[in-house]
Amino acid sequence: MDDQLNYAPCGFITLSNTGMITDANQTLLNLLKYERGELLNRHIETVMNVANKIFFHTYFYPFIQLNGYVNEIYLTLKNKNDMEVPVLLNGVRKERDGDTYIDCVLIEMRKRIEYERDILSSKRKLEELNQAKDEAHETLKALNEELEKKQEELIKLNRSLEAQASTDGLTGVKNRRSFQESLEGSMSLFNRLQIPFSLLLIDIDYFKRINDTYGHPVGDEVLIKVAKIMQSQSRDIDIVARYGGEEFAIILPDANRDNAVLVAERYRMEIQQGDWGEYNITVSVGVATVSDADDEETIVSRADQSLYTSKSRGRNRVTHSDDRS
Amino acid sequence: MMAKDIITRNNVTITGKGDRPIIFAHGFGCDQEMWRHVAPAFEEDYRVILFDYVGSGKSDLNDYDPVRYGQLDGYAQDVLEIAEALELRDAIFVGHSVSGMIGTLASISRSEYFGQLIMLGPSPCYVNDLPDYYGGFDRKDIEELLTMMEMNFTGWASYLAPIVMNNPERRELADELEQTFCSRDPGIARQFAEVTFYCDCREELNKVTVPSLILQCSEDSIAPIEVGEYLHSNLRNNTLKLMRAKGHYPHLSHPEETTQYIKQYLMHF
Repeated sequence: MDDQLNYAPCGFITLSNTGMITDANQTLLNLLKYERGELLNRHIETVMNVANKIFFHTYFYPFIQLNGYVNEIYLTLKNKNDMEVPVLLNGVRKERDGDTYIDCVLIEMRKRIEYERDILSSKRKLEELNQAKDEAHETLKALNEELEKKQEELIKLNRSLEAQASTDGLTGVKNRRSFQESLEGSMSLFNRLQIPFSLLLIDIDYFKRINDTYGHPVGDEVLIKVAKIMQSQSRDIDIVARYGGEEFAIILPDANRDNAVLVAERYRMEIQQGDWGEYNITVSVGVATVSDADDEETIVSRADQSLYTSKSRGRNRVTHSDDRS
Repeated sequence: MMAKDIITRNNVTITGKGDRPIIFAHGFGCDQEMWRHVAPAFEEDYRVILFDYVGSGKSDLNDYDPVRYGQLDGYAQDVLEIAEALELRDAIFVGHSVSGMIGTLASISRSEYFGQLIMLGPSPCYVNDLPDYYGGFDRKDIEELLTMMEMNFTGWASYLAPIVMNNPERRELADELEQTFCSRDPGIARQFAEVTFYCDCREELNKVTVPSLILQCSEDSIAPIEVGEYLHSNLRNNTLKLMRAKGHYPHLSHPEETTQYIKQYLMHF
């Protein structure tokens, strides 16, 4: 080996086709801290740790056998004192005098490997962070979904509570509390925007007699059926409510006197013509239409007086407060 | 999958004048080219079948499924599918390195496909399980190997990938990357390494019924002599031959000795 190669600024080593070291330059010997005689005719494994041996046998060797070269292989050799020496290696397979050799150049990569390791560890950290972020995101998403579900349940529950609180348990129409609220609402609409409304108070005729004769269960059936008929006749905006005992109240928004009387008549007719079997069920109706002088109490009171008039005039009829006298 | 698709997928090549099939299976980090000094010696008397596992050599990389090839069974499936496609019966299976165990697993599934198993430098488990078992490596050695592979390909490839993507006119850069190693995809190579070096087939050995020949190299740092002896005492009906060949690639370094041992063994059947 001439001086130029022997002291070249890179390591040079020749291996036999089975990996035995047949030659090495002084630069490489210095790098690995061996004397020439200590390395010649030894296997390249001598300067490798376990992982590097596997790597050599499973990658370097088959690749160079298949392709005749290897480029830019990173290896960590170990020197005579068992210290790590990271190198970058290029190798080529050559025929000489009927034998096959592998010639390699090696460059120590001290600084370079630090950069590589930095990049690798940054990449790992980034991957970990990304994973942590993804996991946090997933958790947040799951929590959010749960929250939404709970909120929906709550809204449903509230709706059902509201319905329960405003519904009459027996007949399914609005209860008196809810009626009172609606009446207040209608009153305030009238006061602010002059939107009229009428109020019907409907009482089942001779209800006490039915209860006494046939018993409460039959009385309840009648109440339910009357409520059903009224409900089926009402518009969406009408408020049908049980006012107490056998008395119902209906608010008809946007209905003037004539409309209210017509509607009241229709209710009365429908109930009279209902399929009651052996009973005879009719209702008496009192109607009042809101006026500027009214408040919640006075309009109810006027409707109530009209109802009283219907009763005293023979029942099964409609009386509007304007027509009482 | 149709038979002809399997043939294409695994780059199956068939030569030889004989009837009895002999199938050569390459090891980790290699392809069928590794058999170039051995396979021709069987062409006179056998039907010689060579192939590349999916992910290696000239196989179709599109068929690589990380779940299937996440364990050796996925590779054994390749062998079985090739055997089915070629309607093999009583075939001789010659497997180098990890292929020894891949063939073993395949023979457990369908023993009728195989007449004899011949294994070069096999190991049922590379990681030590002391004091009962010596595989040759500690877990930390394997971890270091995987890191090294990452430094050598996965890492560099992934740094370079964006450059390639941003420079579509520099197609040669991508091609060069692809040629970096035997397995064109560094991710595949890394997974193959993980699957190979963390495998443990010791529990499977007593299920093997096909007779086998173990070719143990002297001074093999991948499959040490202790491993060969372990196989010898745990496989039914096997023959262990200690070769003069050193290293882990007797079919490359000592093709005549390798061929001779295989032929000698087959004479008994």
